[in-house]
Amino acid sequence: MSFQEKNITVSLVNFSLILGFYLIRLWQLTQQGNFNAGQVFRLWGIIIVAAVVVTITATILTHIVSAIIQAIKTQAEPVIEDLADERDKFIELKGTQVTYVVSSIGGFLAMLTFVLGQPPLVMFTLLIFFGVVAQIVGDAARLYFYRKGF
Amino acid sequence: MSKRRLANNIRKLRFFQGEMTQQQLAEKVGVTRQTIIAMEQGKYSPSLELAFRIALAFNVPIEEVFAYELAEETE
Repeated sequence: MSFQEKNITVSLVNFSLILGFYLIRLWQLTQQGNFNAGQVFRLWGIIIVAAVVVTITATILTHIVSAIIQAIKTQAEPVIEDLADERDKFIELKGTQVTYVVSSIGGFLAMLTFVLGQPPLVMFTLLIFFGVVAQIVGDAARLYFYRKGF
Repeated sequence: MSKRRLANNIRKLRFFQGEMTQQQLAEKVGVTRQTIIAMEQGKYSPSLELAFRIALAFNVPIEEVFAYELAEETE
């Protein structure tokens, strides 16, 4: 498995955990009757900050752990394979395209709920939900292209 | 229009170059080993520039490395 594939796998796991946390927290808010603007926007902030911090930390940790494992395996100075060639860039582009498509459909559906008379909070809740889902689907698409080719 | 695919002889050419490793070829043409593996398995069609670089690495004309053949021929 290449460094890029490891990085995508870690990202996929992280965003799945973030999505799980988001859904559990939303369910708790609705159960407690605290589904209001203050709580929802606070949750927005937590999700966005968590996504940024976790992504940066995970990339650094993946680099370090890969280097350690490689050094143990080869008993030599580790070589970090973070060179992205044309195939990596192409897969990245295709993955980003998938992310944008899912994100756009999600954005449209979120706005549709507002048009159909739902409160704005529902729209904002769905926007961040589809944002995270789009990232997960994009990562899954990247992994698929690495594994199956195109 | 009949379906075609880009086939290649990279594995064979590596063998005739004194069993050149995938890593050595990757370093010569400036890509990762995974990309060489993907090309050999027919999972990736390289750009025209990379195709020429591979031909240059083997010192053969590009048509000796790649062939645009009917998909049915190889299945």
